[in-house]
Amino acid sequence: MRRNVAIIGCGQTKHTSKRRDVNIAEMVSEAVYNALEDAQVSPREVDAFVVGNMQGFGGIAQPEQWLGDSIGAPGKSVIRIATGGTTGGSVGQGSYYTVASGLHDVVVAVAWEKHSDSREAGATTGLLHVGLGNFFHAASYGLSLKNLVATSAVGAAAGVAVYQAVFYMHRSGCSIEHFDMVAAKARRNAAKNKYAHLQWPGCTPEDIAGTEIIAYPFRYGHICPASDGASAIVVAEESLARKKARQPAWFKGLAAFSDEENQLQSENFGGVGVLDPSEQKGCWMSATKAYKMAGIKDPQREIDMAEVYQPFPSQELIFAERLGLFDEGTAWMALEKGETDIDGRMPLDPSGGVNATNAIGSTALQRILECALQIMGKAEEHQVPRKVSNAVAHGWGGVTSYITVTVLGDSPGR
Amino acid sequence: MGYIKEERPTTIAVEGTWNIGSYHYKGSRLLEEYVKGLKQKKLIGSFCPGCGKVIVPPRNLCGRCHRIMDRRKIVSNRGTITCFIVTPPMEKGKLKVLGMDPVETGLIKEGEVVIPVFVKFDGSDSNTDTILLNADPKAVHIGMRVKVLWAKEPQGALSDFEGVEPV
Amino acid sequence: MKSKSEIVEVQALPFAAGFNWSTGFQMQRFIEELANRKILGAKCPQCGYTYVPPRSRCGKCYAKIGEENLITLSGKGTLVGYTTAYVKLDGQGNFQDLEEPGIIGAIKLENADSTIFMPLEGIKPRDVTEGLRVEVQWREETKGELADIRCFKPA
Repeated sequence: MRRNVAIIGCGQTKHTSKRRDVNIAEMVSEAVYNALEDAQVSPREVDAFVVGNMQGFGGIAQPEQWLGDSIGAPGKSVIRIATGGTTGGSVGQGSYYTVASGLHDVVVAVAWEKHSDSREAGATTGLLHVGLGNFFHAASYGLSLKNLVATSAVGAAAGVAVYQAVFYMHRSGCSIEHFDMVAAKARRNAAKNKYAHLQWPGCTPEDIAGTEIIAYPFRYGHICPASDGASAIVVAEESLARKKARQPAWFKGLAAFSDEENQLQSENFGGVGVLDPSEQKGCWMSATKAYKMAGIKDPQREIDMAEVYQPFPSQELIFAERLGLFDEGTAWMALEKGETDIDGRMPLDPSGGVNATNAIGSTALQRILECALQIMGKAEEHQVPRKVSNAVAHGWGGVTSYITVTVLGDSPGR
Repeated sequence: MGYIKEERPTTIAVEGTWNIGSYHYKGSRLLEEYVKGLKQKKLIGSFCPGCGKVIVPPRNLCGRCHRIMDRRKIVSNRGTITCFIVTPPMEKGKLKVLGMDPVETGLIKEGEVVIPVFVKFDGSDSNTDTILLNADPKAVHIGMRVKVLWAKEPQGALSDFEGVEPV
Repeated sequence: MKSKSEIVEVQALPFAAGFNWSTGFQMQRFIEELANRKILGAKCPQCGYTYVPPRSRCGKCYAKIGEENLITLSGKGTLVGYTTAYVKLDGQGNFQDLEEPGIIGAIKLENADSTIFMPLEGIKPRDVTEGLRVEVQWREETKGELADIRCFKPA
């Protein structure tokens, strides 16, 4: 029989482009102990850890072995989950399963990324040895290096996201100006979030439009940063949650569906099975199941805010529609009307989202964490000015491979 | 720029390298089939007996209905652009890709505009990832008709398929 | 009947992912002091467990360990375990015989509680026993790098 589970504490490190004052273990430790302090739980009370970062990034094959002592794991059970960009989402959901199943009572979920340890700037090194393995075999079949550089690598500034954006623009009628608006909103909101990376108080779409185009339709100002940082949540079963937290953030519904493998350089090199890269079938399948589990019948009316995984501004619009928060092809119109601002009808990413802070492994867990903060009323300056009873957190990984959708609420609903 | 900046102290670093190039990756039978087709200027795709989907280059399994795709279909050399990216004119020192500067290594000329595209060839139900050549960047649009630009003397290699060009 | 695919001659693309892992302040002190032929350990202020190399957080009692808790160790210790290697890898996936067998020892330094793994020289494999007293051997010229600790020898 499934138990009710809630988040009772959250902890993050400040996300910046270089945390060269600490090693990976120390950085992750900061987030864990911040979360334990917020939850008023001592390390002794923790039963298990669920940890994760983007597989291969950071250059450490098994970081969970290094981290153990620094996060209080000796003598406890530890699982590591890695699902590409949505690692954090799977880690968060993993902590739910371990408690809901009755296996453990108190679990800490922590996810992180430290890009600054790489020799090349940003996420390049990580992408190198994760992505390159996908097409080395093609070199044996006379792969033209120019073609490779042109198709995969030029697009690697943003990857499939660029194709997604072009398709969405064609299908829905939105324009590059809407991406400017989303990017500006993310940076404005991030300025109110003391842990976010790209903080630009009062950023306007004109500020973003002033940056150069990196590859149509994306500008430099649209692109997410590569951040160093970690985030952690403390998750507990019902009776302990009610004792420890004034307003716990309850897990009401979750789902994780993957879709047809869409990585451009897989075994068949250069074929993409899904015709519409912005289709993201896995997302609406996950959303449908998560809402059903949470008892939500009309997300447009019942969801109070959402944290969408949007490293690129086009994805905020695409995924918000896939999560059922707007009718097909209309998210950009709602954006124009201000409905997605912090004080709007359907606030999207009041924390600034992934567009403003991207420590890859940690980002999807941050979406769950931020929804929890909003429900608990602890989001401080970026708290949305209305009661948050239901929130949805979304994570996206691989190209269409992994999606996690988590619905959180102010009551368990069961 | 209006970004709030933050500086942190730096501690020394320990260096290391993960030599990906030293792994021996085996090729796949599917690619072997595909490049044999390229030598004859043919595009071979695999066909799903369940949903009827055709994927170019061929795959083993249909991703949506999970059936084995052991049948083959040859698709047309002509197709439609479904997606595209247009880069600004490439400059040396602007972009580092896979650890290389594309202009410095001579792979891409200074000032060249690169147009990666997704093409749905007639008869195929998948997008093939390639580049558009000999085209005016301003004229590129979704729905544009293109055809394969073959290498002068196909060798039976992926480079035989140089790209696509407007019809 | 499906035919076997030939194993195609593999062209390796010359990509190597490079990393510069930040050490954090505790490890930075450890590495810097190697130039002065000193080995530092970190003693937990709460439970006294001493880690070498040093750490920022105690795995036993969860307390923070700071730079003020660093202590200098004598460089002498006791062998608590060991193994002998007879081959090495050549970087291409093949084994190569070592000219001389290499002994690796698990060493518990005086006043430390954790063990370190270091090569052991100046002794034949058949003479090695648990409990052997050993001592650090420094590089000729110490530069403030991990390689400054060359190996250990029987004391």
